[in-house]
Amino acid sequence: MTIEELNKRKTPIVVIDKSLEKYKEKILFPEKLAKANEVLKKIGLPKLAKR
Amino acid sequence: MKQPKYQLKAEQDLAIFEFISEGPKGKIPKLIEFKETNLNGFYNLAFGDKDETTGKIDDKVVTNNDDTEKVLATVVAAVYAFTDKYPDAWVYATGSSASRTRLYRMGITKYLEQVQNDFHIFGELDENWILFEKGINYEGFVVQRKNN
Repeated sequence: MTIEELNKRKTPIVVIDKSLEKYKEKILFPEKLAKANEVLKKIGLPKLAKR
Repeated sequence: MKQPKYQLKAEQDLAIFEFISEGPKGKIPKLIEFKETNLNGFYNLAFGDKDETTGKIDDKVVTNNDDTEKVLATVVAAVYAFTDKYPDAWVYATGSSASRTRLYRMGITKYLEQVQNDFHIFGELDENWILFEKGINYEGFVVQRKNN
């Protein structure tokens, strides 16, 4: 597949790279995660979530 | 999303992605993380530069690699890949600064028609979720894939 064809796809072709497994157990962006948890605590989910 | 984007790599769960930004500042590896919050099925999306020397991740750095649109398109592509695998997931994102949050809003706005076909999109405003509209300075965003 050419890069042009790749770019036309909504869902990309993703190459699996096992070297990235080492990040799974870490929190890479702790401040952002804390912010997300704070938002959830304050305002919960949008109503649509109850489906 | 037909605009150029970078090739994505990921680990098997498609929760951590990596791509290489290329521009005047050289090749800069970037990581995208979808991390589950305290609420099951609600994920925080964040991305930033990976310092290959220290191994540290920085989401505040301004890279200025002249590829902002390509980077945003790549992050959106990662959201498509992630929500293909986890179609019920909610994905939350906010910028590391007001200007960066505004940049995300502009990115969503630019491709709104396309994105709204595939996702429910809400903006966070004054401690409420409201359906995303153009021209409003939201504090954050949350999306969920539509059952198309």
